[in-house]
Amino acid sequence: MKHYLGELEELVLLTVAVLGQEAYGVSIQREIEARSDRRITIGGLHSTITRLEEKGLLKSWVGGATAERGGRSKRYYDITPLGKKAVAETRSLRDELWTESGIKLAIK
Amino acid sequence: MKRPLKTPQPPGFARRLFGLLAGRAHVDDLLGDMDEWFYENLRHMSLLRARWIYWKQVFSLSFSYALRARRRNASHAALASSSLNTAMLVNYFKVAVRNLYQHKYFSVINAFGLALGMSVSLLLIALFSYVSNYDDFHDRAEDVYAITSIVDKGIEHIEFATAPIALADKMTSEFHAADRVLTIVKEYQTVVTRTQNFAVKTYYTSPEFFDVFSFEFLDGSALALRQPGQVLLTETTARRLFGDEDPMGKTLELSGGALVQVSGVLKDLKKTHLNFDMLMSYPSIVQHSASFEEDWVKFPNQYVYVRMLSDAAIQDLEQYLDAAANRLYTESPAKVSFTVRPLKGLTVGPDLRNDIGEKWEASGFIVFAVFAALILLPACFNYANISVARAMRRAKEIALRKTVGGVRSQIFFQFVTETVLMSIFSLIGAIGIFVLIRREFQSMLVAGASLDLSLTPSLILLFVLFAIVTGVLAGIFPALYFARLNPIDAFKSRVVTKTSIFSVRKVLTIFQFVLSFGFILTLFAINRQYRYAMSFDFGFRKGQIIDVALQDVKREVFDTKFGSLANVETLSHSSGVMAVTVSQAWYHDANRDSVIAAQMYADRNYFSNLELTFVAGQSFPDESFSRESYMIVNEEFLKSRNISPPQAAIGRVYQVDGHDLEVIGVLKNFHYAPLNFPIANFVFRDDPSQYHFANLKVTGGDSYEILSEFETIWKQFPTEKKIIARYFEDEMREGYDTYVVMLKIVGFLGLMAITISLLGMIGMVVYTSQSRTKEVGIRKVMGADVRHMIMLLSGDYMKMLAWAIAIGTPLTVLFLNAMVPRLQHYHASISILDVFLSIVVLLVFGVGTIVLETYKTAVANPATTLRSE
Repeated sequence: MKHYLGELEELVLLTVAVLGQEAYGVSIQREIEARSDRRITIGGLHSTITRLEEKGLLKSWVGGATAERGGRSKRYYDITPLGKKAVAETRSLRDELWTESGIKLAIK
Repeated sequence: MKRPLKTPQPPGFARRLFGLLAGRAHVDDLLGDMDEWFYENLRHMSLLRARWIYWKQVFSLSFSYALRARRRNASHAALASSSLNTAMLVNYFKVAVRNLYQHKYFSVINAFGLALGMSVSLLLIALFSYVSNYDDFHDRAEDVYAITSIVDKGIEHIEFATAPIALADKMTSEFHAADRVLTIVKEYQTVVTRTQNFAVKTYYTSPEFFDVFSFEFLDGSALALRQPGQVLLTETTARRLFGDEDPMGKTLELSGGALVQVSGVLKDLKKTHLNFDMLMSYPSIVQHSASFEEDWVKFPNQYVYVRMLSDAAIQDLEQYLDAAANRLYTESPAKVSFTVRPLKGLTVGPDLRNDIGEKWEASGFIVFAVFAALILLPACFNYANISVARAMRRAKEIALRKTVGGVRSQIFFQFVTETVLMSIFSLIGAIGIFVLIRREFQSMLVAGASLDLSLTPSLILLFVLFAIVTGVLAGIFPALYFARLNPIDAFKSRVVTKTSIFSVRKVLTIFQFVLSFGFILTLFAINRQYRYAMSFDFGFRKGQIIDVALQDVKREVFDTKFGSLANVETLSHSSGVMAVTVSQAWYHDANRDSVIAAQMYADRNYFSNLELTFVAGQSFPDESFSRESYMIVNEEFLKSRNISPPQAAIGRVYQVDGHDLEVIGVLKNFHYAPLNFPIANFVFRDDPSQYHFANLKVTGGDSYEILSEFETIWKQFPTEKKIIARYFEDEMREGYDTYVVMLKIVGFLGLMAITISLLGMIGMVVYTSQSRTKEVGIRKVMGADVRHMIMLLSGDYMKMLAWAIAIGTPLTVLFLNAMVPRLQHYHASISILDVFLSIVVLLVFGVGTIVLETYKTAVANPATTLRSE
């Protein structure tokens, strides 16, 4: 089954992959905002994460609490094999489109 | 890890709210995320800003899919019950109805208070919702802009709604991002018929009017405006002029003799900022004058509208206008700049002069909203106050709910449902009040006549939404309070109302009474101003003078008939009515030094008739008039020209409108204008062609008899017009009608404020009295009498009243001292008597209520009250 990823979904999946062991709410949001130079709302981010989790592209577990979070636990995320496949499919679709349009773009 | 106490915390209320919304869902990580952001934000921004962001995050998450999904998952778990389902809602509703019914007395007090509080807000909502979609109906309304101007003449800096026609002509040739440039000249025309004169608001304009504005035709077309002498009427105007006859093709005579032809009828105007009775073709009047001044600086009744091309940027227009203004006014002493205003923003907007039609100032809405809030918030607060105070009675009910498994959010929602139900119930009362005061309210507004505040389904929907918001507002604090309640404490009757809340409650109660006191004192103060103005010595005679408008009756004919009446003592003529209508003109002396003065035309008898006193010189000479050559000035005029003594002024010559006038008399200062204006320069002139009124001094007979005698004589004149005769005193009184309106408004708001605060007070007093019934019983058994008991029960409230008076008096006096002089230049200051009377009124109401309510408890028979357990 093919997964069609939204732009933010793709961004979140890749960011989670980039962050590796350290992917949780705040770090994901910070990373996306820093890299893409755009603001996302916390509600929007968590909605996307929830959807990805429901589709089985992300998995999560509750982890350690730190003082700067008022002693509350973190929920860490990691990309599942299905998630990796989905990103890869999205990428290959884009690559395909790029190579085909490349001729026209090159002529200019 | 526990943080030291001093570290700033994220807003607890937001956190609790979020927890409540989350119910049983696991949101620890989300709360942690927000905390982490909060502490990080604190490092580089203020606490306030960090908290604000926290709040935003709470809202963002509250409405997010993430929370919904988590809640849904949580509700599958065992014992889950936090999700809102219909069965639960029905249950909340049932419990709420039963509770309200059980405590009828409190419910009625609360509902009545809320209804009063909401009624004023309903007016505001109805007014705003009606006015805010003005001018929506035009095709491409979003591309239409009005050009307005700011005229800068040295010290004067005035914003007008007008713009010069000359600018429009320039734009048509120079500016190409607009597809229509429309000009309108506004004027009042008089249509003369055989029996009557009709004042008709007229816009001179071109056929493009109908490209820019989409008014519907009943008959005829826009093309009529292409030829001179053609007019379009609105439906109502057509009916006013022709009754049921077909107006098409009929000829109208305008005052001045011009004949025009009706070549179209428009549907009546609705929901637009434009206001006209008649449209007339543009070429029929406008000639461009040669002078720059006339074209570019004086444009009091010219309006310019622009419809931009759909893809044009409005910045182009702004830039063009800025550049044009800079270019045009380099040489001119008066500077004018132009502003572009979207059509949509014209109806509710800033205060501009010379509006084309109807206008609602945004500032007015803000003042209105403040008053509505001042009335509504105390009502909400009282509700919360009474609910929390009654916590003890309901604590056990809640404790039981909690013990059998009720969670916080359920208790919370149950209470909110109860308040919302209550406020919707109150809405019925509020709509009743709204309907009652609607007409009166409309009559107070300048443009109220065109308003339609009838209850449409969409308006009622807005009202219901408003009631729900009000309900949530009033219910959220008691609901949170009850949701937090500890069941164990509640069962042991150890519910304590926190002292901090208590003092807040006291402060707010005192605030309400300060407000009520303010209204009462203002009422007295305005009443004093009104009476002061009515009995003010204006420096001339007001009584027993009847002003008759001459209309088209010849002055000589009038004089012979009326002068011989037994009831008429003396007779004079004037151009207008003193203190009601005056014009202004520039007077130049020999050195071309000029001074502005108010002026009026009057004959020689006028001064003795109105008992104006001469300090020097005399009245106009009694020679047959050939050309205007004399003037009579007031003392102020001399002062501004530095002439003294008054005798020195006699014989000086001033030039006005091309006449050389010699000062022949000097009058003692008198109030020629309403009392909000200080006395300034004033000049009397004696050109008979300007006389429009006869002033008859009558004997003090029966006014009805005199007026009917006048009418009989008037009917003998060769005119078809009706007599217009008014007692001078009545005319002047009308000038002060604003006071009557203000008295009504302040009186009404004051009544609301005081009723609401008294209702709140009743609730509190009843509650404390009831909860102290046993104490009172014991005290009485020990020998205390009723009087002592009343004092015991009412002591706290008496103190609050005393505080309210102590705070309210200086505040209101300060406020009034700042306001009254703006209202009226010549004013009476607030007297001790007013303050005293206001205190008495407040005390009578306040103490009366308290004593009445405590009396019931105080007289109760201890034998019955003590036996109840």
